[in-house]
Amino acid sequence: MKIQMTCQGDLCILELGGELDYHSSPELREKLNSLVTKQTPKILVNLKGVEYMDSSGIATFVEAFQKTKRYQGRLILVALTDTVRGVFEIAKLDSIFEIAPTMDEALGRMAAKV
Amino acid sequence: MKKKFELVSNSEVLSPLRQELRQLLGLGGWEKKSAEEILLAVDEVLTNIIRHAYGGKPGKMVILFEDSPEKTEIVLEDHGKKFDPTQLPPPELPCHKPGGLGVHFIRTLMDRVVYDESFKEGNRLHLIKFKSKMLKGERPL
Repeated sequence: MKIQMTCQGDLCILELGGELDYHSSPELREKLNSLVTKQTPKILVNLKGVEYMDSSGIATFVEAFQKTKRYQGRLILVALTDTVRGVFEIAKLDSIFEIAPTMDEALGRMAAKV
Repeated sequence: MKKKFELVSNSEVLSPLRQELRQLLGLGGWEKKSAEEILLAVDEVLTNIIRHAYGGKPGKMVILFEDSPEKTEIVLEDHGKKFDPTQLPPPELPCHKPGGLGVHFIRTLMDRVVYDESFKEGNRLHLIKFKSKMLKGERPL
């Protein structure tokens, strides 16, 4: 799995690529944990390049989502592929997470504080 | 079409196995969505074997892939701690805590999940998906 992180001001963007499974999810968990530990106010995770995700990936996002909520932070998942969206739907988590179709929209939402 | 895989329980084996199974499922005529569902179910079983049956220690995992015109059946065996996932109660969804979704995925994505109680040396789980239920109008993998 490829993870690229860029931070500017109160916003951090994670660009993910490849497959998110039990083998690769600890690396993502570590990155997200580093952000929530610092109480990063705005976190965007771009999943456009993720072709596969299992329940370990879901668990990683649930954990990060719960932690951001505790400090009133915001986590938006962006550009889910059909396969990844399907996994969120089976877990009925597609309505719990904030999901944006594009980075532009996600950035717009963050800027508008909606 | 039949194929047998013997692997050591380690998370590094998951991705290469998915690649091999993806090819076999394509040869079996599965369209992409259903093929990815089967792969996810297999992945969740193997993850449970690695994490729970063997507790993160090395152990043998056997995967038997069998494809016929009617169905695809995948049998997964281990020699670790016994656990029958078919007896687990369904989770409350949406689950707000991390974890606990793997068995839900397996049961949701496959048409039949059978735990073989006669297999005394560990666990043997049969995952079955029928081709008659394949979504119409989708392109083969």
